[in-house]
Amino acid sequence: MVEMKNVNVHYASGIDALVNVNLRINDGEFVFIVGESGAGKSTLMKLMMRELMPSSGRVFVNGYNLEKLKGNRIAKFRRSIGLVFQDFRLIQDYTVYENVAFVLRIADQSNRYIRQRVPYVLNLMEMAGKAKHKTRELSGGEQQRVAIARALANDPGLLIVDEPTGNLDPEKSYKLVGLLKEINRCGTTVVMITHEHDLVRYFGGRIINIDKGEITFDETIGGNDEDQ
Amino acid sequence: MRTSNVNYLVKKGVSSVWKNFIMSFASFSILLVSLLQISITVLVMMNLNIIMGNIEDTNEITIYVREGATKEDIEHIHSVLKNNNEITDVKYYSKEEALEDFKNDMAEYAGLLDYLEENPMPETFLARVSDLRNIRGVVEQISSINAVEQVKAPYDFAGALVNIRNTFTVIIVAILLVLTIVSVVIVSNTIRTSVFARRNEITIMKYVGATNGFIKLPFFVEGCFVGVLAGAAAWGLTWFIYDSIFSLFTDNLTLWEMFGFFDLIPFGNVSWIVLLSCCLAGAALGTAGTMISMGKYLKV
Repeated sequence: MVEMKNVNVHYASGIDALVNVNLRINDGEFVFIVGESGAGKSTLMKLMMRELMPSSGRVFVNGYNLEKLKGNRIAKFRRSIGLVFQDFRLIQDYTVYENVAFVLRIADQSNRYIRQRVPYVLNLMEMAGKAKHKTRELSGGEQQRVAIARALANDPGLLIVDEPTGNLDPEKSYKLVGLLKEINRCGTTVVMITHEHDLVRYFGGRIINIDKGEITFDETIGGNDEDQ
Repeated sequence: MRTSNVNYLVKKGVSSVWKNFIMSFASFSILLVSLLQISITVLVMMNLNIIMGNIEDTNEITIYVREGATKEDIEHIHSVLKNNNEITDVKYYSKEEALEDFKNDMAEYAGLLDYLEENPMPETFLARVSDLRNIRGVVEQISSINAVEQVKAPYDFAGALVNIRNTFTVIIVAILLVLTIVSVVIVSNTIRTSVFARRNEITIMKYVGATNGFIKLPFFVEGCFVGVLAGAAAWGLTWFIYDSIFSLFTDNLTLWEMFGFFDLIPFGNVSWIVLLSCCLAGAALGTAGTMISMGKYLKV
């Protein structure tokens, strides 16, 4: 669950990135956060992953009051969420397997569990065949799927995905969002940040639009994929 | 943390040494030079201490016994000297022995002494003081004995030696301190370059929930491992350099004996201590350098 109460983010440069944001995302929801570049979508993501603190207001994610998190509790909180970045942020020197396995090591899982879990999530993302490849040898779409596999490795309750289709062709973009919808049907809350309105209209669901730091639209619409 | 995950991080740290070979080699070289300087400075200090000790050992105080002192008085003086912890060696010379020595020293005029009706030489004790800094206290204690006529001590020489030793100690400690600080600064800057090259890796780890300890451990192992390797290499080089200098002194023994250099420490006697110290110092410097340079990249 994500909850923001009267959140304002004011940067030192004088920009108001978020203005009096109030939102609540319940467990099991699939939410698109849309908006133009510079609207405040990334700031919202940074708040949710506790990379940034609000200038005022309060943020709660997965039961954590982010304002009160200090030191290693921030690390523990981040292990409870899955993050997929637009630029993937995979460790290029690691193999696909290692990239996924190391988040399980961070969570202090046993070797036995890691040996079972990593092939499982890679299989889920259809990347098991490339487990031994270095991530730098993969295409953008493949790296994106490894990034999602990594985010899912710790079985997080909340998956935050930032512009996942930015580097993909339309066909792969639709396939990827379909996959995220599938993950959501299994019970994971998914928050997807995007600026691709066509994609959002096609899939439908709850849509939150941000414009100049303010939430201007927060409604659920029907999508085409529900017919399938 | 599970042992399996600690093992993984340790292996990751060791393999990083080879993966980042150029930066590891730069850190290794700087640590090697620093440790070499430090180990040679320490060995020089140890040898100077021995040389100073040798010079001090040749330094004696002379205790003249009052004329007419009884056998009990002599024994009392002897026991006071023997029981004094500051005195390492005591020799007693009877009047006869003192005269005999004097005759030997003045061999050309020995005949003249035969004309003496009675032996003018006093009974004498020669004693060595272990620490010249305490010589005044020792002399005062002995002088207070009734049967003691006079105590002669080379105060000026002792004072000069104490000053020289103190000055050496201050200079060498200062050199060691400066070398250590300079080493940590240079090593931390070199490692910072290596950490900078891997800042993305650190940031990603932070984003996916790694604790600072989890991130630091491989870097810690890497710094420590490079430090130990540099320590071992510094030990080998120190051995080579020291042995070369050592043989220079031992080949020209008579010249250096004058300065008390005949007791230089053979490297074999301190080899293990030097190896252990170099490796420990290397590990400490490597680790300290790594820790200093990482802090900035952990604030994500």
